Amino acid sequence: MASEVSQNHIRVRDLSVRYGSTRVLNNISIDIPDKKITAIIGPSGCGKTTLLKSFNRLIDLQEGVSVSGQVFVDDEDIYDPKTEITHLRKRMGLLSQRPQVLPMSIYENVVYGLRVHGEKSKEKLNAAVERYLKEAHMWHEVKDRLHTSAAKLSIGQQQRLCLARGLAVGPEVILGDEPTSALDPISAEQIEQRFLALKDKYTIVLVTHILRQARRLADYVVFLYLGNLIEHGPAEEVLNNPRYAKTKAYLEGRFIEEPEIEKELDLIKLTFPESLKALEKVFKELKVGQVLRIVSGEKNLQGLIRSPLVAQHTVLEIKKRDALTSEVIMQKNEGGYSI
Amino acid sequence: MDKRKVEEYIFKVLMLGAVLIVIGSLVFILATILVKGLPTLSWEMITKTPQGGYYMGKGGGILNALLGSLLLGIGATILAAAVALPIVFYLNLYLRRRSRFALAVRFFLDVLWGIPSVVYGAFGFTLMIFFGLQASLLAGMITVALLVLPIMARGMDEVLKMVTFELQEASLALGATRLETAGKVIFRQAFPGILTAVLMAFGRGMSDAAAVLFTAGFTDSLPYSLFKPVATLPLAVFFQLGTPFPEVQSRGYAAALILTAIVFSLSILARLITRGMNKHVIK
Repeated sequence: MASEVSQNHIRVRDLSVRYGSTRVLNNISIDIPDKKITAIIGPSGCGKTTLLKSFNRLIDLQEGVSVSGQVFVDDEDIYDPKTEITHLRKRMGLLSQRPQVLPMSIYENVVYGLRVHGEKSKEKLNAAVERYLKEAHMWHEVKDRLHTSAAKLSIGQQQRLCLARGLAVGPEVILGDEPTSALDPISAEQIEQRFLALKDKYTIVLVTHILRQARRLADYVVFLYLGNLIEHGPAEEVLNNPRYAKTKAYLEGRFIEEPEIEKELDLIKLTFPESLKALEKVFKELKVGQVLRIVSGEKNLQGLIRSPLVAQHTVLEIKKRDALTSEVIMQKNEGGYSI
Repeated sequence: MDKRKVEEYIFKVLMLGAVLIVIGSLVFILATILVKGLPTLSWEMITKTPQGGYYMGKGGGILNALLGSLLLGIGATILAAAVALPIVFYLNLYLRRRSRFALAVRFFLDVLWGIPSVVYGAFGFTLMIFFGLQASLLAGMITVALLVLPIMARGMDEVLKMVTFELQEASLALGATRLETAGKVIFRQAFPGILTAVLMAFGRGMSDAAAVLFTAGFTDSLPYSLFKPVATLPLAVFFQLGTPFPEVQSRGYAAALILTAIVFSLSILARLITRGMNKHVIK
């Protein structure tokens, strides 16, 4: 797998995360596009933050966490025991929900990461402070009080300082965990402006529960629901023209309902002629509005979805069971499936 | 009458009573040592060592005990801090929040806290005999260090527990190791509290009599070697109060006054220092 050639910094393959016995993420596979803003959306507690923090292995710090699957960053599997975790984290800046400035001066906050990674030259540190505070758009606000405490800054300034601090270690990726949720509207706007200005240089991944923010910023959208990857794709497609019912319900602010499965077909054990017969039979029996679950091998999945048999059905959801099997949940059209 | 109002009133009175008991006993203790000790408190007392027959009422002072207590307190505090700091950083940074091991360690520390100091003294004494040492400054330091270790460690532990997980995360996310995070971020954030715990332990260690009774011994000479007995203030107070002579007893109160003054000024000093140090601390 590691030899697979790819342009993308971050590729996730069959990532599952559990906290103790609770499954938080189920078989997520996704490529995060480079130098774009990717927004991870979904209701609270659906695994957005866990997915984000799996990119820099901050989830390692959680109680009883176990991870399976792979996350490749620049073709290196970061869950490989040989991975140097401090180097990985250096490549990703993190903005948390509430800005977390370090208990030191503004200057020391910006150079903290550099010092940790061994930079000692005074000139380089000074230059970095000016450069990254400018990138975070706060140099003019603080240039005369660099040696005062960072804790005294306003919360919006603190978040921009955290951005400068993250940029200073030279990351390729910026991770934002609802970075504007604790901020006032003006500070939030400033942070959003920074993201738009920085996206040519960095790959930005944001967790957000604000749909309007996703619309304003995102080039690419990932929709998670209860630990499952429901839909992902270019922002305008997912946000304006979602393919699956759950995405649609979430975007429209409706309650997301689990469809009631009325029929089920397991194609795994069947071979070609029988499987086709079984499919035809089950589609015939299915009444308008009824929901069918088909369990299928990963290889045959695309063929199945595109087959003419499925044409009069709406695919509600495609769920990955494990690396090799998926579930397709579909509903017979006419009269339409509406929640 | 409204029953709930009466209830409220009764509890207010009870709480006020409790506060008064605390303040009252402090005032009463201070008044006692002031009234009984102040008349004999003199410059000579803190600049001279005991002359022959000091405990019978002859001249001299308790400089030996004053210096001995300070040295012993400082040494014991450093020893205890050298053990307590790694313990608490391990508990709070390296172990998971609900780790059973951490729970056990905290429980053991609490039990150690509750053990009377005379038991520590006896334990120190057994150790001394085992290693063939005599009563000495070093033995006293080690015993007092054991005595104050749980106080210091639990004090620091409570402070470190207050440091948010997110702050730790912020440092780790920049590629810092846990050790760097502990030393450069968490320690700074918790420093005022850690200093308070250290000084609390110092005050406690300096003023304990039972732990040093067997282990540090007593002497009329100034402390000059780690391996020789050393005088301490609490024992000086104890010996002087134990004599039948009123003026020596009064000197005992004066010695108690000195001891109290040192502990008191230390806690004020601690507050002043931490006020200056916590300007970067995130509230």
